[in-house]
Order: sequence, then structure tokens, then C-alpha cells
Amino acid sequence: MTLRDFYNKTGSNYDGVLSLMGGSERIVDKFVRKFPNDKSAVQLFEAFENKDYETAFRMAHTLKGVCLNLGFDRLRESASELTEALRNTVADNAPELLETVRRDYDEIICALKELDDV
Amino acid sequence: MEKILIVDDAEINRELLTEMLGGDYNILEASNGKEALTVLQDIGPEISLVLLDMVMPEMDGLELLEIMGKNGMLTDIPVIMISADDSQETTHRAYELGVTEFIRRPYDSLVVRRRCQNIISLYSKQKKLVGLFADQFYEREKNSRLLIDILAHIVEFRNNECATHVINVQSYSEILLKEIVNQTDKYGLTEKDCMLIASVSALHDIGKISIPDEVLNKPGRLTDEEFKIMKSHSAVGSQMLADLPFHREEPLVKLAYSITRWHHERWDGRGYPDGLAGDDIPIAAQVVSLADVYDALTAERCYKKAFSHETAIEMILKGECGQFNPLLLKCLEIRSEEMRLVKEGGTQNIKGEDDIKEFARELLKNDALYASDRLLHLLEYEKMKNRFFEGITGGCSFEYNAESKLLTFSKKSADVLGISETIVDPVHDDSLISVFGQEVLKEMSSMFRAGTPQNPITQLYLHQVITLGSGNGSPTQSFRITSSPDIKHNYPENMKCSTYRLICRSTWTLEAPQRFTGVIGKLVPSETDYGIMKGVDILDIEGLL
Repeated sequence: MTLRDFYNKTGSNYDGVLSLMGGSERIVDKFVRKFPNDKSAVQLFEAFENKDYETAFRMAHTLKGVCLNLGFDRLRESASELTEALRNTVADNAPELLETVRRDYDEIICALKELDDV
Repeated sequence: MEKILIVDDAEINRELLTEMLGGDYNILEASNGKEALTVLQDIGPEISLVLLDMVMPEMDGLELLEIMGKNGMLTDIPVIMISADDSQETTHRAYELGVTEFIRRPYDSLVVRRRCQNIISLYSKQKKLVGLFADQFYEREKNSRLLIDILAHIVEFRNNECATHVINVQSYSEILLKEIVNQTDKYGLTEKDCMLIASVSALHDIGKISIPDEVLNKPGRLTDEEFKIMKSHSAVGSQMLADLPFHREEPLVKLAYSITRWHHERWDGRGYPDGLAGDDIPIAAQVVSLADVYDALTAERCYKKAFSHETAIEMILKGECGQFNPLLLKCLEIRSEEMRLVKEGGTQNIKGEDDIKEFARELLKNDALYASDRLLHLLEYEKMKNRFFEGITGGCSFEYNAESKLLTFSKKSADVLGISETIVDPVHDDSLISVFGQEVLKEMSSMFRAGTPQNPITQLYLHQVITLGSGNGSPTQSFRITSSPDIKHNYPENMKCSTYRLICRSTWTLEAPQRFTGVIGKLVPSETDYGIMKGVDILDIEGLL
């Protein structure tokens, strides 16, 4: 799978991120492959499970920021909704939103494994 | 290379920013506000820019910003806040707290690079300007002082009075003025006024240029007629200034006029030339007048011997030299010790560069241009801290700079060890070799270098072995070094050993590859086997404690 295919498959915006990186495919590729190292998603799931909603909020916020930088629009959108659902109080639909985030996150992690070697 | 501190809790974001900034900067990273604060406190002045995330654990962006503001760090360290869709409220708050700019997520590499570049160059230009201003100001101030001093000395020279009279009057005036400012604000004296008064005080006797030699330098009592001529110097001097064809409206000239004319007036109106009383006499003239009298009393003149400081103060307080403003007398009493020190110290330094810098700093502060001020302040704070800790913990502390090969002891340590405070190339220094011996010195030196950036602290034990001479022979000493404290030697009757712990911390550059830059260290008595022989006057390390 090419980088562009990967972006299309995960509901992400390849052209957008490419232009932000000054047109350098190398940089996009480098940081997309670093994404699994980022612990914010895993820590978000953990914190939510432990009902530590303050940390969960912060991690959702961080995940959203990382997705913004990488052009992962779909995951960014669900992370953003979860962030708002956890801001100040815990909204009723927070558990559903968390599952959406988990789904979108897993989709990216899976797709990454199919990415062509450079 | 300019240093940029990136503060973000997501490592991937920090890496991305680092990538975008390219290799043009030296990048430091912190994952929350607390870590960032540690870096800032450590090497704040070296940092050219902070890129700051908003939401972080431990301490978030706004909290860090607030602390930086309170510590004055924001004056010379610009902060760019990174934000996504943060609320208007947060954005406004960040601006209120003193953030310089924002970068919005997602990062655009070109925008990130340009914005950082622009802000760094803007700030460095401002810093350069402040430095330039301070230098220029210092230079100008120095020159005008020089001119005033030359002029004043020409007068003194003719007068055969003690050559330091002018300088002393300046110093005494300054001391008194400082205390007046402490006591009251009724005279509205600013730091600038005080500086000006002290420098212009040098002109108080210019009128003496018109007094004939035989009166001016007459040993013994003056006749009534001669005294009248002598007394004319204040009116004549001020007239000279009033007759200047130019600059008459300058504050300096006006001030010089009042000091020259009224420095022989007295609080009760019994002075000359105008018989002014109380605060009708300008405060500048009152101060110079008292400084002049104190110096005249404590210096030897062609018609009298010098009085001691104590006698002079007593005479002034009793009104034997005319009445002075009671407030001024109070200031004199409070600062009496300082006056005595100046008198005894013989103030060769007309005006320490320190004073002028202090003044320049004051000015800069008032003009809200104090970028380099914080740096100076930090330095002073560090020095004070060191002196304080040294004062309470005792021991012999030192610093070694690998680049300049300079070994520096604290003053106290140097005094006790009987060596100079700074030693160049210590391993080959004769005075150190004669104290410790070549072998021991070499071992110490290799120990200095045994530290690593990861493991910078090393320690060893220094044993001072003293051998008593037989009969009347004087005792001798030698040193040995070991890595553990508890080597129990069975010393013969005539030998004693004291053990000291030598603890060193090596210092390294921050950039990779890390280079060894030096060592700081301390010599303290070891807890074990501590017992130095009394009365053996070879190396009194104990005297340090």
C-alpha cells in the first residue's frame, strides 16, 4: 500500500499533510511510521477504564493534536468529540465516543502494517 | 547556535517540530511545564525561544507562562504558544500572560520555521540594542566624569590640599545621599539626581582659582582680611558659572551653581555668602557642605593636623563646625562606619564601574529596556548564593575551568591554604606542588577527568600525614590519596594522619558530543578519622571550618 492509499483508506488527508510538510513525502512517511510509538491513545484507553477522566481528557486532547499534525482527519474528528465529551464533566455518550476512537485508531494501526517499505 | 526549548507532552509532536526547524537550531525538549522550568532555571539566558504546548500534565502551558512572567523571564525569552482549537478565552489569557505569538496546529513547516526565525531575530536585535545603549551610556558617563575630575584637580593642585579631597567629597556625598533617600522622599531625589550631585560636587571649590596663593596656602591663622578673601571663593565660583556664555540652563550647571555658591551656608543661617537657612539651602549644597567639613577635619591641612574619625564626627554633631540639618546629621551617624572605611581605604577608584553600571541599569529599568538586567541579576544572585553556602558549610571549595586551565579557590580557602585565589595550569604550579607534591596532584587531576556526563560526581580521600621532627626539628607533612576512607595505617608515635573527603563534580557542554568543561569541588573533613593535630602550623585545613 502506498502512502496515499493508506491515507485514503483511513479517512485521512494526504494532500493536506503533504503541503504542511513542505511537499516532503519523506517527512510524512517518517512521522506516520512513528505514530504507533505515541502513547496518547493507549493511555487514553487505560485512563478511561480506570475512570481517571482528567487524564483521559488530556490524552484525548493530545491524540487530537497529534492527528491534526499528521492529517488523520477521521481519528482527529472522533478524538475531538471525545475531548469535548470529557471537558469539565463526563458526558453520557462518552463511552460510545471512546469506542469510535478505538475503532478509528485500530484502523490506522492495522493499515500501517500494510504500508509498503520504502 | 540558537537554542530553542520545545515543551510538549507528545514526543511525536516535539520530533515533528524539530524536523521542521531543520538543523539550524540547538533543540532542547521538555515534556511538561515543570521540566521546562527546570531547564529555564538552569540555562534560561541561553535560550532564544520557547515553543509551548497548552495542555500538559504536571504543569500546563498557561501555568508555566505565568511563572515565567513573575520571574521576569519573559522579558528576554520569547514564547510561542502552540494551540489547536483552544477557546478564545485561553488565547486571550495567554496574551495577557505575555505570550509573544501563536502557532496553530496542524503545524505548517514553512510557517513554523519563519515565525521562529523572525521572533528570534527580533529579540536578538533588541538585546543588542540594549547592550549598545549601555556601552554608549557608560562611555559617555565616564568621559564627562573624567572632564569634571580633571578640572577639579587643577583647582586642588594649586591649593596643595590633599589630592584626594575632591574624590573623598564625592564619595562622602554619595554615602549621605543614599541614606537621605532611605530616610525621606521629601527632597524627591532620584538615583540620577544623586549621581549628578556626587559628580558635580567635584566643582564645589572652583572659586578658589581666584584666591591668591599666599592666602590659599598660608600656614597658620588667617587675618580677618585674609579670611574675607578666602570666603569669597564660593560667591566667585558661582559667578564664574553664572557668567558662562553657554549651557547656563543645563541642569548640571544649575546644580554646580548651587553647590559652589552655598556649600558654606549653615542650617541656622550663619554661613556665607547669602546667610540662607534651613531647607532654603538646596539639599545638594547641604550634603556637599557636610562631606566637605568631614573631609577637612579628617585630613591634614597646611594649618592643622588630621583629626580621627571619631573626633571629627563628635565635633560635627556638637556643632563645632556650624549647624547642619538634623536629618543630615542622623544620616551621618547611621553611615558613620561607611564614611570611616572610605576615609581609611583611600578611594583611588573615583567611581567604580559598578556604580555606573548600577546607574545604567536603573535607567534601563525606568525606560523599560531591561533585557540584560535580568541576566546581571541572575549572576549576582548566583554569586550571593555561593557565598552564603560557602559561609555556612565551611570547607575548601574550588572551581576548575578546563578551557582556560584556571583553578579558582574561594578567597577564604586560598587564604588558609596560603596560595593565590587563581592558579593557571595547576598540575604544573609550583605553589601547589610544594603543598601537595607532584604525585598527589597528578592523581587529583586524573580524578577530575574520571567523571562522565552521566556520572559526573567522583570522590576520593586525601590523607594528610604529619611527621613530628625529632628534638627541635620542625614537623613535615605529606599527602596520600585513596579511594576509600578507612585505610587504617598503624602510624608510629611521631606521626598523625587527618583524612579529608574530596568531592568533585565534572561539568560538560550541553551539545553532543559532550565536552569536558571543568570541575567544581569541595574538600571537607571526612566523618571518619577526623582529628587534626593542634598546634602544627603547616597546613591548617581545619581553619577553614
